[in-house]
Amino acid sequence: MSQKTEKEEKSLLKKKVVKAITAFVLTGLVFLLVILWAVNTGSLSIGPKELIEGLFVQYSEKVATIYDLRFPRIIISILLGAALAVSGTLFQAVLKNPLTDPGIIGISGGASFAAVLVTAFFPVLFAYLPLFAFAGGLVAFLIVYTLAWKGGISPLRIILVGIAVSTMFSGLSNAINLMSGGNQSSVASIVEGSITMKTWEDVRTALYYIPICLILSIFLSGKCNLLSLDDKTARGIGVNVDRDRMIISMTAVLLASIATAVVGVVSFLGLIVPHIARILMGHNHKLLLPYSMLLGATIYLIADTVGRAIAAPYEINASIIMAVIGGPFFILLLRRQNKYGG
Amino acid sequence: MVDDQITKIKEEGHKILCVENVTFSYEDKKKNKARKVILDEVNLSFSKGKITTLIGANGCGKSTLFHLMTKNLEPSKGKIYLEEKNIRGMKQKDFAKRVAIVHQNNEAAADITVNRLVSYGRSPHQGMFASLSTKDKEIIDWALEVTNTKNLRNREVLSLSGGQRQRVWIAMALAQKTDILFLDEPTTYLDIRYQIELLEMIQKLNSDYKITIIMVLHDMNHAVYYSDEILGLKDGKVLIQGNPKEVITTECIEQIYGVRLKVENMNGRKVVMTVR
Repeated sequence: MSQKTEKEEKSLLKKKVVKAITAFVLTGLVFLLVILWAVNTGSLSIGPKELIEGLFVQYSEKVATIYDLRFPRIIISILLGAALAVSGTLFQAVLKNPLTDPGIIGISGGASFAAVLVTAFFPVLFAYLPLFAFAGGLVAFLIVYTLAWKGGISPLRIILVGIAVSTMFSGLSNAINLMSGGNQSSVASIVEGSITMKTWEDVRTALYYIPICLILSIFLSGKCNLLSLDDKTARGIGVNVDRDRMIISMTAVLLASIATAVVGVVSFLGLIVPHIARILMGHNHKLLLPYSMLLGATIYLIADTVGRAIAAPYEINASIIMAVIGGPFFILLLRRQNKYGG
Repeated sequence: MVDDQITKIKEEGHKILCVENVTFSYEDKKKNKARKVILDEVNLSFSKGKITTLIGANGCGKSTLFHLMTKNLEPSKGKIYLEEKNIRGMKQKDFAKRVAIVHQNNEAAADITVNRLVSYGRSPHQGMFASLSTKDKEIIDWALEVTNTKNLRNREVLSLSGGQRQRVWIAMALAQKTDILFLDEPTTYLDIRYQIELLEMIQKLNSDYKITIIMVLHDMNHAVYYSDEILGLKDGKVLIQGNPKEVITTECIEQIYGVRLKVENMNGRKVVMTVR
């Protein structure tokens, strides 16, 4: 009899693998379609053949216009979506808390405040914006970590402290935004989380930091898996728990901070994506992290493109779309898994 | 004099783990600056290839001692040697190649399979990016085999019963292929049949594979029956150490646990009557 159950278990395992591969392929297809849709959303439209010809074969004015106007934000959306989703996945692994998200726990708030501060008062240092944002994110993380970690892991406490930190920083950012006239567009754009006026310059910032961190996160997936064990058990199999937790946290903070420096605070993406990813991929980070990347990029690009299309010619920020969809989703998760509440 | 003893122990050569003058204390936050001493100048040694069991009342310091010996805590004073090496300076990874630990109450990711969990036991022997080698796989198979969990290998750990789960955690520790295996109250929460199955398995690990076993047990009769040596702790000090046949007496149990129990001789074995 045990032989039979063993077979059943094996076929169950196989089904899981098939499910994961299917999800990967389908999401990949959706991703490509969304890119095409994003390229064509607006007053100019273009077919895939024309686009590829215009990009790689010969110059076309139409393609060049689209390239300058739409490509920066498409690339930024893809990179940031991936960055925030991976950051959320890493935070959830390291804090052993499935409700963590760089926005909710205040990391983005800290990064945004530092970015706003530099933009408003020290514009000379604008080139170092990502570094300042990282410092801000780090400060926020240390505050949340020391206040919430004390005396064990309480999922609720991390979120409560995170909300306090996040609210404080967003208040400070808003104050500076108003003090600097409220119309200094670069300050306002960080506060509001806008990617309306993004140029190739912003793409470069994202390109410098994000891909490296994403690749690093893939190498950290094994460590994330081992950290899902109890600390003492993980130590027992030779894991340097404190060091690994620090490395993973820093990567997550860096990803969230760079994302914030480029587009401002985006909430919930880092929460929603890992959750969907876990349903489809299971808890193995070797699958979870790459898939989160793909799904995060897809969802954020959809949010941005919907925001552009829904009330054209006006634009709704992707961060607003994310907040509107993410809020109810967060409540749903809280309700579904009532163990977080108590 | 203590130094003489230590050199003597070292000279004997078959001591695999030595605890030397270890004190562990922490500041009691309620009473200002008063230090609460958990372990007080403890000297111990563990014989290679033997089963040694730590016993003691709740709060006697045995858990702390356990955590000190497994590098989860660091002593306030004194040193712990694994053969000739101070474990304090050892890297976690190198330590895990020599010593494996099965803790109480283990937690695993929701959907992890037995196979993958046991494969984690190979991580101290792997580089950062390496995947499982043929040798790793052989060792994992062996660990599953000796813990009798091979038929469970594709199941999720969380779907197993308490007894099965405990064997899986031991399999993970065995996959580390260490000389020493620590077990912290391995029989807790198991009913008697599984307790005995588990203890017999541990005995087999010791006799067939020469693994040095150091464990904490609550049941004195289990301790007497399955151990080569017993260590009794009381108030942070070692009270008894030696062969269970010799050291387990009504008096010493009264000293350790504060309760007077009869100790009978049955077929040349000591049996503690755990009722009054």
